[in-house]
Amino acid sequence: MSTHDATRRAFLVRAAAGAGAVAGAGLVPGALTQAHEQRPETGAPATIQPHSNVVEHGAFFNDENAATIAAFTERLMPGAPDKPGARDAGVLNYIDLALAGAYADLQDFYRRGLAQLDAYCRKTYHEPFVRLNAARQDEVITALEQGKATGFTWPTAQVFFDTVRTHTMEGMFADPIYGGNKDFAGWRLVGFPGAQAMFTPADLQNRQAFTRAPMIGLQAQGKGPARKA
Amino acid sequence: MATEKTDVVIVGMGAAGGILAAELGKAGMKVIGLERGPRLATADFSALDELRYFQRQDLRPNAKRQPVTWRPNAKARANPLPILNYGNQAGGGTVHYGAISWRFHEDDFRSRSQTIERYGASAIPKDCSLIDWPLTYADLEPFYDRAEYELGVSGRAGNLQGRKIEGGNPFEAPRRREYPLPPLMADQSGVIFAAGARKLGYHPFSSPRAILSQTYQGRPGCTYCGFCQAFGCHIGAKSSILVTKLPEADATGNFKLLTGTMCYRVKSDNSGRVTGVSYWGSDGSDNTIEAELVILAPFIYDNTRLLLLSKTAKFPNGLANSSGQVGKHLMAHIGARVFAAFDDRFVNIYMGPNAQKHSLDDCNADNFDHSGLGFIRGAQISITPADLEGGPIGAAMSMNPPPGVPRWGAAYRDFLSKYFARYAAIIAQTDNLPYADQTIDLDPNVRDQWGLPAPRLTYDWRRPNELARVEFLLGKLEELGRAMGATHVWRSPLGAGAPGAHHEGGTRMGSDPKTSVVNRYGQSWDIPNLFIIGSSTYPSMSGFNPTLTIQALAYMSADAIANRYKNKPGPLA
Repeated sequence: MSTHDATRRAFLVRAAAGAGAVAGAGLVPGALTQAHEQRPETGAPATIQPHSNVVEHGAFFNDENAATIAAFTERLMPGAPDKPGARDAGVLNYIDLALAGAYADLQDFYRRGLAQLDAYCRKTYHEPFVRLNAARQDEVITALEQGKATGFTWPTAQVFFDTVRTHTMEGMFADPIYGGNKDFAGWRLVGFPGAQAMFTPADLQNRQAFTRAPMIGLQAQGKGPARKA
Repeated sequence: MATEKTDVVIVGMGAAGGILAAELGKAGMKVIGLERGPRLATADFSALDELRYFQRQDLRPNAKRQPVTWRPNAKARANPLPILNYGNQAGGGTVHYGAISWRFHEDDFRSRSQTIERYGASAIPKDCSLIDWPLTYADLEPFYDRAEYELGVSGRAGNLQGRKIEGGNPFEAPRRREYPLPPLMADQSGVIFAAGARKLGYHPFSSPRAILSQTYQGRPGCTYCGFCQAFGCHIGAKSSILVTKLPEADATGNFKLLTGTMCYRVKSDNSGRVTGVSYWGSDGSDNTIEAELVILAPFIYDNTRLLLLSKTAKFPNGLANSSGQVGKHLMAHIGARVFAAFDDRFVNIYMGPNAQKHSLDDCNADNFDHSGLGFIRGAQISITPADLEGGPIGAAMSMNPPPGVPRWGAAYRDFLSKYFARYAAIIAQTDNLPYADQTIDLDPNVRDQWGLPAPRLTYDWRRPNELARVEFLLGKLEELGRAMGATHVWRSPLGAGAPGAHHEGGTRMGSDPKTSVVNRYGQSWDIPNLFIIGSSTYPSMSGFNPTLTIQALAYMSADAIANRYKNKPGPLA
């Protein structure tokens, strides 16, 4: 949450862009793509994401919860060079908008789930989720998925995990009109061309990847970046 | 509070209700149709939006406001099902369905007799309530033919008046003429499925679908966009009741559709007849329709619920229930599934209509010898996406990764990234047997948005016959995946007992008033001016999707009502 973090991130972004050393920089617009410094292999501390300017939210989550969701969802779908992840896709923004709208009935579910997650992390590791390194964050998520994380009543650890996973996938792959899948990040990851109104007989008979048309979203029709082969 | 009078009131404007409205309107009867949801139009379906229609189930009932509860047995507490897969608008489930349009096999109508003749009575599980239908395939054939031609179904005949046709389903029952439209084009999943199936000696074919393969009756042919099952068709190429029979009903001048209405009671008098229905309007008003004839055609749960809710001193166990059979013999398909992924090619399964794209029928019904297998009846096998449709949300929700790959993290990302456009699912849709203790009743604890008790399902598919069959089929599916040349083949976990797709039963038809609720025309044995039309009347279910048979039965009942009952009201059978 500090100025230091924002400064560090901005530096990383500039450094990556300046060096042109990060594969996928041209494919993935947005300032976040290049800085995938959060790697379980290195055990490096995960960066806490300040919400302003860096991580999009503002409709529902407070800053602390936004940072937790951003970090959590990035571990579920981590970004890597040429492989857009949850941050690149704006999954936090998707969930934030959904909780202020279509999923308003889940607001307390998220508040309670995040409070229980925080308590579990502090009790087990004496740090909040966002302060844990990536390997530790994965341990926590695994404990949730397997129902082994203690202290959860409602939502249960498994239900909370399943719901966040579901919403992460929605934020990765739903049409960008809902605030995620930024610049078709999710569709580029898996090779889905979006809202195509038709496929030709030649398309149906092709045993290669579909690359003929631009990706099409409900609003930005045909404005997507060129598809990779 | 309004009171209207009419000849016929129909509850539910879906697969059956729309056909009855059009046909009875044409016969000069005044018809009022009650529909819980809205009446949408093709223009409403322009958004090719996986989140809205597949994931958030926009065209289906809201599982929180219109709950249906389920428990595995009578001792367990029932909980609301998270997803309801039926219709909630004029046109019903045909608006969003995959449009698979099978005729049942000849032996699907007499699977009890067929089993006893071939394997002996002991082959039928002791607790199974299997009975023959009170009609034969031949009785229904003219109405299958009408449904295919009036609605618009694409396919290739496999059995033309007894002559086997290459490229069609050789196991199908004899049909009088070809399909009105040629089969839909096969996509890559169909091509590799067909090649693999032939290697194993099976007989693959393009599944018959109520989707236009070319222009028909002023509607355009399919564009293979893939936003099909779970979606309304954005060009009207899907032959839903919304774009076929409801305009016909309108044109009769005898039809009035009341949308946003909830029927909560069928009214009856002391003479033993029904007199009409009570319903809540979209404005909350409490209204009555007085009718000579009441036809119930909602999804199956609401038939049982309405009959039970409409009990009176004369009908203390609910209407049409002197047999005590209302709510019993609930059936559902289970989808046994394996995934096949290819390193050497793309499949692009998101292209084209989604449901059961290419099929084989060799393992269905009694099309193979069950001697020594430990189960009866079979399953229809086909190639499909992971879920109802082929987009990435569906894959992320419903394609379990192969053993050793987690559901999240970098390895999962890489799995999805590599295989989303290189996988297919192979599914076996099972002909589960009826059992009397698989039931629908009124939930004592859960109420819906109107304050009515929720339908409660008591059901567990995991019976010895069904478990043995699923294990047999999973082996067949794995063989198929390997024969297709897949690099990786792995199983999808089986569900925990809950009913799968295509729920049927609750108001079974039969030949004996003591053991069934309605006769072959869907007419109540107890109350001759009350009809129940739909898959709730099925005595057994077949491995095939139910809709075309619902539609054929609706045509048959409409024909009997217009030509016989109208002139001489009374029992038709």
